[in-house]
Amino acid sequence: MATKDRYLNRIELLQGTLDMLILKTLQWGPQHGYGIIQAIRVTSSDVLQVETGSLYPALHRLERQGWLSSEWKQSDSNQRAKYYRLTSAGKKQLASEQARWTQLSSAIASIMSPEGEAS
Amino acid sequence: MTRNRRDRDLQEEMDAHLRMAIRDRMERGQSQAAATSAALAEFGNRLLVREVTRDMWGWATLERLLQDCRYGARMLRKNLGFTTVVVLTLALGIGANTAIYSVMQAALAPLAIPEAGRVVMVWTENAKRDWHQFPASVPDYVDWKASGVFSSLGALSDGGFNLRMADRTDRISGLNVTPEFFAAIAVQPHLGRVFRAEDGQPGRSQVAILTDGLWHSRFHADPSVVGSSIVLDGVPHTVVGVLPKTFPVFAQEEIYAPLLFPADMAENRGSRFFQVVGRLRPGIPLASAQQRMAALERRLSMQYTDDAGHSVALQPVEEASVEDERALLGILFGAVGFVLLIACANIANLLLARGTARRKEMALRVALGVGRWRLCRQLLTESVLLALLGGLVAIAPSLAAIRFITSFHLDELRNSDLIALSPGVLVFNLALSFATGILFGLVPAWQAWKIDVSGAMKEASRSNTGGRHQRLRGLFVISEVALTLILLVGAGLMLRSFARLRSANPGYDPHNVLTVRVALSDQQYAAPETQTAFFERVVREARSLPGVLNVSAVDDLPGSDNLHGSALRFPDRPEPHTEDLRMVLRNSVTGDYFATMRIPLLRGRYLNERDVQSAVPVAVIDEWTAKQNWPGQDVVGKSLKLGVKLPPRQIVGVVGSVDQGILVKLLKGQVGQVYLPAPQAPMPAMTLLLRTIMDPAALIPAMRKLVRNVDIDQPVFQVQTLESIRAAGRAYQRLATSLLGSFAAVALLLATIGIYGVIAYNVGQRTREFGIRMSLGAQRLDVMRLVVRQGLVLAGAGIAIGLAGALALTRLLSRLLDRVNATDPLTFAGVTGLLAVVALAATFLPAWRATRVEPVTALRCE
Repeated sequence: MATKDRYLNRIELLQGTLDMLILKTLQWGPQHGYGIIQAIRVTSSDVLQVETGSLYPALHRLERQGWLSSEWKQSDSNQRAKYYRLTSAGKKQLASEQARWTQLSSAIASIMSPEGEAS
Repeated sequence: MTRNRRDRDLQEEMDAHLRMAIRDRMERGQSQAAATSAALAEFGNRLLVREVTRDMWGWATLERLLQDCRYGARMLRKNLGFTTVVVLTLALGIGANTAIYSVMQAALAPLAIPEAGRVVMVWTENAKRDWHQFPASVPDYVDWKASGVFSSLGALSDGGFNLRMADRTDRISGLNVTPEFFAAIAVQPHLGRVFRAEDGQPGRSQVAILTDGLWHSRFHADPSVVGSSIVLDGVPHTVVGVLPKTFPVFAQEEIYAPLLFPADMAENRGSRFFQVVGRLRPGIPLASAQQRMAALERRLSMQYTDDAGHSVALQPVEEASVEDERALLGILFGAVGFVLLIACANIANLLLARGTARRKEMALRVALGVGRWRLCRQLLTESVLLALLGGLVAIAPSLAAIRFITSFHLDELRNSDLIALSPGVLVFNLALSFATGILFGLVPAWQAWKIDVSGAMKEASRSNTGGRHQRLRGLFVISEVALTLILLVGAGLMLRSFARLRSANPGYDPHNVLTVRVALSDQQYAAPETQTAFFERVVREARSLPGVLNVSAVDDLPGSDNLHGSALRFPDRPEPHTEDLRMVLRNSVTGDYFATMRIPLLRGRYLNERDVQSAVPVAVIDEWTAKQNWPGQDVVGKSLKLGVKLPPRQIVGVVGSVDQGILVKLLKGQVGQVYLPAPQAPMPAMTLLLRTIMDPAALIPAMRKLVRNVDIDQPVFQVQTLESIRAAGRAYQRLATSLLGSFAAVALLLATIGIYGVIAYNVGQRTREFGIRMSLGAQRLDVMRLVVRQGLVLAGAGIAIGLAGALALTRLLSRLLDRVNATDPLTFAGVTGLLAVVALAATFLPAWRATRVEPVTALRCE
């Protein structure tokens, strides 16, 4: 029961930001789905665990929107996998989402810990 | 990329993901088995992931619909029992609607007249004398024609003709029409021409026009019939034209002849025998035509005493042609609509229960990112699929119902030959199925929309139905019961009316009487004496047929649609006002009539063979007339008059009153009856009556031969036994009774299932509560009372609403009811009782099961 609750909370946490996380991860180079999950987990120090049920719909949607392209390639471990890469439209999208995120998070941060309180 | 390739691609992508996850885990030192199961667990439900990912592909709507359908079909296959129940329920409901629609489509098909909206019937109205849609007199017609409102105004009167064929003579129905009639209808003949002004004028050869039906049935659709000669009423007529199949029918006519106004009617404003149909002059809208005609009639009503109080009504001919059907069809369509609504309520309840069971599946899908909209659409697709399947299966019962309806041979119904499962009807079936699917599909869709994801996931295995669903279910059952009650009341009233019609004492003995009608042609039997002589001869000869007790003749049988009435006057009293005149039915009979019918003599004597033309004019009246007009007096020896200029008649006897049939009852309630000896009031068309000692039908061939021997040109028709005439009632009534009866039966069955389903479900839900109650000391009877009370509350609410609805709606039935009031308390009470008992029975089984709950088991199932 408890795991399910956490799982649901996490879904909610990621809603809206998952697209940005995927685009950001792919900024470092093409990656497959499994690799993206691992990268987000490791980069977030195990805080963010993306579910497959969220990741794959998101990947396919982003591809349809023209922000990602995909191709089958051999992985480092000599396995065939589907690699996603940022398109130039995707790069622009990432830039705009990142800008918005920075704006949003600083706004939230200033509400949550106002300067007066910090001093 | 095709869908299949894309699907394989996705499958491979997920497989690769899993392989990599397993490899990583094994590299971290896990065993292969442990790594595989951990990776699988982490990945989650592969099927669902695939499905929600697929949703992102942004398919064309059609492809998505296909996918929804496939999903729906899978769900329906998985629940075969549920699917079967729903499809069969729907097949009954949709099938009944399809069948009734096929009748409606045929009967209400637009008339094939150019600019039909401009063609109107012109009726005389007189509220004070209770005249509605009355025919016109010749002077009326002439005045109306001169009004300038119509570009052409035709008069018509219906009648019958004796058509001589090679080996026999047939009675056919026809219309006499003025040439303007065809100008008003403005439909070109199929062959030849329509009437001209000179047709039918004295000195010219007689002409006739055939309908398409007659042309096919008697002339093998031979085009050379135009210009040939046929014998009507013993006189040669030249066929000048054949009408198209689509030509509108006014009175089941098969042939047309020119209408010539009798000389004695030209100035007589009191003789109203003609229907009038006209085409409005271009540029005059219906409303202003109505105003101008009303103004004209006001002038006429002030000018002539015969027209006092009259007004005029214009009725579009399209409306006139469906007026009779509309009531019946409206009632039947309403009834089948109710049946379908009840079916929908039942299905919605089933879906509600199933939706509760599927909550987790839905919640999981929502959690995995399937949009609520998408989920609703998927569920709606499933419901529509179910309904379409029901509609498909419904074709079988609807075909059976159509065959059943056409077996009634509703000749009065327009286009009854067109009642079939036509493409239009199939389209209706499809549209109705679709709409039905959406209607009951709203329930699970709404459920999915409202789903509370974390709540559904958190819930323990025991499903907890919210009070909201329970209330909704109750509402469905209440509406079902209410609709069922309305249908039951309707069917009950029809049945009671039918039963009363069959069992009521008509005032005569209908058993063992053969009736045979003969209508002498005006041309061959112009002189009244020859008419009397013909019938007296046939009656005399028929007396010697074997097994015959009495033979007589009457112009109109009791209860026939064809009536002759006269205003009753009294020589010894002052002339009453026109509107105070009492109508009586007037019958010409040959001497033996009362003995043949076994109508009892109450005072004086019967008419007999000494009441010849030259004797003193006499009459026999019925008991009702005597009581109404000479209360408390001995009427034998008193006098009456049946027309201002007619001689007084002496009343020689009083006989029992007879049932006058639904037509009179509807128009007047009850009217008096005056019998005249046929020699003193000859009629050209009479019905011969033979009372026999054995089966009267056995005499039919002998009777046909007898009439043929007297005059081969005079056909016999309407050959039937008096009993069958009475038992048959009107075909409409019989059809309405059997259809309403079966619809009500289906409704009752569905409502019973509905009540049972809800109560049983509820008992299942409350097992634990009952267990606790009983472990706390509640008796079995208390638990039972608890359950039964719930059922009775639902049924009671439904019955109360249904009674109110029935009171409002059964008024529509009154046209079809005979001897029964539309608010007949006995029917209402009986039907309410029946429904209450059935509801109680449907509640009882689950209630009894509730008392079988073992407290320990109930508590343990948590």
